[in-house]
Amino acid sequence: MSARRAANMGNPSAGYGTPCNPEDEGLPDSILAAVSRCRSIAMAIEAEDFGLFLVDPSFELLQPCFDSSYPQVSPRTTFIAENGADSLAKHTRVSTAPCWWADGSMSRSECEFLRHPLTERTAELLPGVPGIAFPVFADRGRCGLVIFYGQALSLNPEQLVDAHARCFWLFHAVAALSTTPERQTNMTPRETECLKLTAEGYTSDQIAAALNLSPHTANQYLTNCTQKLNAVNRAHAVAKAIRAGLID
Amino acid sequence: MNMAISAAEPDPTMSARLSSRGDLTAFMMDLCRRIGADSYMLMAIMRDPKGSELRIVASNWVYDAIQLISRRALTALVQCLACAAPGLQPKPIVTRRAPALPGVITGEEARLLDVLGHGEIYPLSLHVGRQRLFLLFSTEEPGQLDPIELSRAQMQCCYALSQVPGLLAATAQQDPLSDRERECLFWVSEGKTTEEVAVILGVSGNTVNSYVTNAVQKFSARNRTSAVAAAIRNGIL
Repeated sequence: MSARRAANMGNPSAGYGTPCNPEDEGLPDSILAAVSRCRSIAMAIEAEDFGLFLVDPSFELLQPCFDSSYPQVSPRTTFIAENGADSLAKHTRVSTAPCWWADGSMSRSECEFLRHPLTERTAELLPGVPGIAFPVFADRGRCGLVIFYGQALSLNPEQLVDAHARCFWLFHAVAALSTTPERQTNMTPRETECLKLTAEGYTSDQIAAALNLSPHTANQYLTNCTQKLNAVNRAHAVAKAIRAGLID
Repeated sequence: MNMAISAAEPDPTMSARLSSRGDLTAFMMDLCRRIGADSYMLMAIMRDPKGSELRIVASNWVYDAIQLISRRALTALVQCLACAAPGLQPKPIVTRRAPALPGVITGEEARLLDVLGHGEIYPLSLHVGRQRLFLLFSTEEPGQLDPIELSRAQMQCCYALSQVPGLLAATAQQDPLSDRERECLFWVSEGKTTEEVAVILGVSGNTVNSYVTNAVQKFSARNRTSAVAAAIRNGIL
């Protein structure tokens, strides 16, 4: 494991660097802190509401993480999760460009959106309320969307990219928070080594030969890994370990 | 933002629509001009079970410079701690009269980079959908670039590259899987057995096995588990 990742395990902000926007100093260490950070981004672009969603690795599902009504979940968020998966989740698979919708009434938001040819327009997701979704990505293929809603968003070219960059920083924190259970797994170096070789496609016998162990011991190590990662089998354990950054 | 540009004429990097390789290089040059960088290099790193390989997607480095600077050094530059993801403050690597950077570049490589017009280099990482790319902006003289403008340029690069997926697919790691194969492999990565996947997707167990076998072959992986690992590492799952 790299020194950087090891340092990350205790404190998500250690070793990650400095945010580009000085207002974001210090990585949020709880969902509540993340919500207030997101509110500050929303204020910078004059959004009424916001929501953060995790995009499922199959790019088929939107999972609400939090929104402006936290700890409640607003009906708006539920509606987007149910109806936006098809367009928005699929969009994040291939594109980082912000994706927006509006009703054609040329509200202030719509006029602002139209100033950015590098963004993409999608079908109206929320009747009567314009919105813009920023795709965000973190380590290990984690992917999400931060959505801002409002009739009078203020998005000049600098505000657009600055808000998006801040969403990236925020999402890094949220992704680190949601991987905590795996990160805190105390796998021994030997177990990690066995799991690493499993990820390379080695069988238990081959691992035993490579590490000079008996096949039973290798199997025992892998069983421990699977249990510690709360996985149902080895493929599941490998997937969880890579996503959590426990193996490269 | 350069106020003179925004007031007089629209900044080309804010309004570009890209459809070809030519558009991409023109966009990158406009971006360099706006932030004051002399050179850029856009790269992808492909990972497979045999190791990783660096591919240059676009660059205005002189041919000799690319030949002289080893791929290993370029890979090390974009994988080092200074490499900033979007939202992070970009950090420079100064090669001007600098000693070796342990674990990144040797003293000789730093000297070569400086001589070749890269006295200061900013390594940045980009996300284009789930695909990861890397970008180096460099100037001959250190201390010329504004981190805030660099960060904005980095974000716009992500947007611009999102418009040319076909172009990236030709150079960088692409998703070799069909929708069905990806779906099956995803459920395998969630710990589901062949029979369970068959029930979830409403197809037969044999069909599931054949999708998974195809996926394993496409990654030249040894078995399901290593195919799952390869897919996650490449951001496909």
